[in-house]
Amino acid sequence: MKPDRYERNHALAAEYVLGTLTGAARRRFETWMLESPRVRRQVWYWERRFQALNGAIPERRPPASVWRKVRGRVDRPGAGAGAWWWPVGGLLAASLVIAALVFWPSPPASQRFVGVIQNSQAEPLWVLETHAEDGRRRLSLQGVQAGAAAGGKAFELWLLPRSGAAISLGLLPTAGEQRVAALTDPQLRILRRSRTLAVSLEPAGGSPTGQPTGPVLYQVRMITL
Amino acid sequence: MSEKLSDMVQLMAQTSRGDLDSFERLYSATSPRLYGLCLRMLGSQHEAQDVLQEIYIKVWHHAGEYHPERGSPLTWMVTIGRYACMDVLRQRRGHQDVDDLKNQLRSGAMEPQQAALASADQKILDRCLRELSEEHRASIQLAYFHGLTHGQMARTLGRPLGTVKSWVRRGLDFMRRCLER
Repeated sequence: MKPDRYERNHALAAEYVLGTLTGAARRRFETWMLESPRVRRQVWYWERRFQALNGAIPERRPPASVWRKVRGRVDRPGAGAGAWWWPVGGLLAASLVIAALVFWPSPPASQRFVGVIQNSQAEPLWVLETHAEDGRRRLSLQGVQAGAAAGGKAFELWLLPRSGAAISLGLLPTAGEQRVAALTDPQLRILRRSRTLAVSLEPAGGSPTGQPTGPVLYQVRMITL
Repeated sequence: MSEKLSDMVQLMAQTSRGDLDSFERLYSATSPRLYGLCLRMLGSQHEAQDVLQEIYIKVWHHAGEYHPERGSPLTWMVTIGRYACMDVLRQRRGHQDVDDLKNQLRSGAMEPQQAALASADQKILDRCLRELSEEHRASIQLAYFHGLTHGQMARTLGRPLGTVKSWVRRGLDFMRRCLER
């Protein structure tokens, strides 16, 4: 059994998440997970997929005593987990980190994409989420902790095809603001295939040329389920 | 669970920096889902509350390890919760109430639920589960919600071990193809 055997590992990842991979096989698989990002992603795939099973379980509010006990155990200054971990991409021009996730839960008509952009201080800057509205696909851009770009400039979001020119998805909003962009079917297809978005620094109002003119600050390799 | 995704992401980030108020909001927004899950898996309020406590201690200490490939913050927390419940179930190994599980199977209590407010993800998963044969579906649900191993499943369903292993493997293979259709 080799960790690079994609199909077999997918089956093992499914059984790992389901819980039917047990004993020595489970421990061996956990070693592979530590060694191989690809194997880890296969496990995460199944964790996300099976998550929907839990949605049918009725919610139950726990008694207040549970929170009191939790609070009593963590209520110490600086007892948190420290800096937020995030995978660092190699193409970042600034000391900023972007990460994104894509939910790929359904046939094309109901695909939902979600992305989170954050900086190296673990502050989420924007949350991006596609949704359907009036039968049309839209991308909502929610500013979380993003300040305005310095010097009167603006942050512009780009969809990067596998080949060819970048496609502007418009300017990103600042903290507390939301902008909704319409996505055309061709743009959705590109998003599905390339899984890559980028953010560049542009003059106020956006790139005057229709292509990125300033530094690309973030690039995202989206993942799919 | 009324928090928006962007709020949840922010709460998780702030929790990782030791912000107790954010952690409390995170708890408030997510604990009914996690408690419901633990109750369903463990069937005991006392155990479910103990495990819930441990889940949130883990979330507090490991919030910094969350990253988006694990899914949304809620998905990540539910995953932690489910593995914690599985550990408890595994410690009960040999003490699973086989008759009770058989009754649940017979009564249809494990059938996919048609929740009126089901998410798109849920509906797709439900559809795929319904397309599975009864045996394949039962094996996946017994493992997922009850932490049954192949051997425990074989005893519960009264079928040979090899048959049950094959059901699980084929069921998962079908699920993957169905989910990606």
